[in-house]
Amino acid sequence: MVAALIRRTGDWDLAEECAAEAFEQASRSWAVDGVPDRPGAWLTTVAGNRALDRLRRAKRGAELLEQAAREQPAQEDEMDEIWDQESGLEDDRLRLIFTCCHPALALEARVALTLRSLGGLSTAEIARAFLVEEATMAKRLTRAKAKIAAARIPYRVPPPELLPERTGGVLAVLYLMFNEGYLAAFGTDLIRADLCVEAIRLARVIVQLMPGEPEAAGLLALMLLNDSRREARAGADGQLISLEEQDRTRWNQEQIDEATLLLAGSFAQGSAGPYQLQAAIAACHAQAQDASSTDWSQIARLYGLLQSSTDTPVVKLNRAVAVAMSGAVDQGLAMLDELEHDGRLAGYHLLAAARADLLRRRGDRAGAAASYELALELVTSDSERRFLTRRLAEVQAGQSGQSRI
Amino acid sequence: MNYMFLICADDTTTPEAGAVMGRETPGWVQEMDDRGVRLFGHQLEGPQAALSVSVRDGQTLVTDGPFAETKEFIAGFDLIKCDDLDEAIEVASKHPISWFHSIEVRRILGPDGSTDMPLPDAEVLAQPKPGHQRYLFLVAINGIPGSDEEEAQIRAEVETWWEELAGRAGMRVFGQGLDHANTATTVRVRDGETILTDGPFVESKEFVAGFAVIDLLSKDEAIALAAANPIARYHHIEVWPFARYPFNND
Repeated sequence: MVAALIRRTGDWDLAEECAAEAFEQASRSWAVDGVPDRPGAWLTTVAGNRALDRLRRAKRGAELLEQAAREQPAQEDEMDEIWDQESGLEDDRLRLIFTCCHPALALEARVALTLRSLGGLSTAEIARAFLVEEATMAKRLTRAKAKIAAARIPYRVPPPELLPERTGGVLAVLYLMFNEGYLAAFGTDLIRADLCVEAIRLARVIVQLMPGEPEAAGLLALMLLNDSRREARAGADGQLISLEEQDRTRWNQEQIDEATLLLAGSFAQGSAGPYQLQAAIAACHAQAQDASSTDWSQIARLYGLLQSSTDTPVVKLNRAVAVAMSGAVDQGLAMLDELEHDGRLAGYHLLAAARADLLRRRGDRAGAAASYELALELVTSDSERRFLTRRLAEVQAGQSGQSRI
Repeated sequence: MNYMFLICADDTTTPEAGAVMGRETPGWVQEMDDRGVRLFGHQLEGPQAALSVSVRDGQTLVTDGPFAETKEFIAGFDLIKCDDLDEAIEVASKHPISWFHSIEVRRILGPDGSTDMPLPDAEVLAQPKPGHQRYLFLVAINGIPGSDEEEAQIRAEVETWWEELAGRAGMRVFGQGLDHANTATTVRVRDGETILTDGPFVESKEFVAGFAVIDLLSKDEAIALAAANPIARYHHIEVWPFARYPFNND
């Protein structure tokens, strides 16, 4: 940057002074407002403006001034490039991510701040993505930034003793961001699909900056694999299409290939965290030529591993389905019974929907219909309601009575 | 950078939890004193001993208990000197109270926005003036801001009150403002995991905006002094006696 400023102003001392001032201003202003989207450009612009001010004040001649002003747009890109090559930048982005995702901030504020500071989304866009008023989102962002400054949330990459926990926190924010977009990305809701794009982009940054973090690679792989099915999972009318019924030629093979590679690399590091395992499960689906050749035994094993690290009822529910699909239908149904006694999933429509699906596959149409009806009472999302309604109609009409297992 | 820990407890404490907190807290105090992190702190008498003082139409109104009617109450406080919020969280998470209840971490605002907090001499801090009871006054703001002019007026009045108080012969008093409750972080430790919440321990529009520690001869003197605080005309002053026997829960 100094070199570029020297080139622009022809004044070595001036360039150095202005660059130093820009850094100083950055340290103050970034601590309060967050680091801008393009720190290099920001610094260059500030330093350049300072240099112009000084030149003006020093009355160093209209010609030099005019020349500098004229060259600015082209120079900015050039200098951004120079800045990008400097090692400090990557550290700054990482610092910023950890600061935005600090657990002392409210979760929704972490997501919004990350999108604003690192994702380059405007406040209005973030507000639309989260279905809130722009003023509400602006307030949320302002409050979060004020808290970072006032409560003195440190602007840094956490020290080693905090790093694993905080990295997990960053990944959780990105996954939440992705799911927020993925689960709602239907029909004309394009802005919400942007959340997926941003989450993937930011996960790439983390993977690049933290190569020794297998869970970061696991999360990126997981998001890529889910995203690879985005086109295929919604029908023309916005209807949800189940994994089994999706047109697999519409899956994004490029994303699948990238994820497979990432995943192999992450497991090669000798650990298997929850994101890696979930990605491995998604990869099993992605690698199956068609639904019937899905390696359900492998999926059931992976869910078993996942359950040993993340023993949530939802994981157990998925495991039960995988076990049933691998051929042990009774065992799967028994696991669903356990979950029902457990009670933690009471009111969760997918527990009833899973039972309905397993009964349908077994040919128990009456049992399936009863469970679909229960699931329909509990479901809240329109696309899922339409899906369940269709299934219920099928079993009632007896069209889907044949077991596929 | 100074923080105030508001130690928040409720009446669900089991005898076992009480025993752990009673046993472990002195060790935490010792450790944090030695580290130079803990500047001052004390256990308070329970909420039944607290008073809420306000002045309306020239009348002093005194009610028993803290102003906000919640099952959680402030059982004690610590003044902490840390580099940043991460260190404050670490210190709070080691406090045995956080393993069962919660600790609200608030930035202390130094005079004129500085980061320093003037404290009296160590021997003054160590114990109350002979024959006196030590009190914690908490300025409880109802969260409804007045106009800028009104707010500036209140601040000026408080400043005058404070200077007059501090200048009174023999009066032992120190205190400070706290940053807005919006910037609070509540720390809990459950199953060895530190759980943070953005905001104060109890979600209400009422929040603690400042504190003062004062040695006084009687409860009546405490009420009179709290009522003299200009803020009492707009909000409330909570008056909490210091516990006479720290760390003894029985």
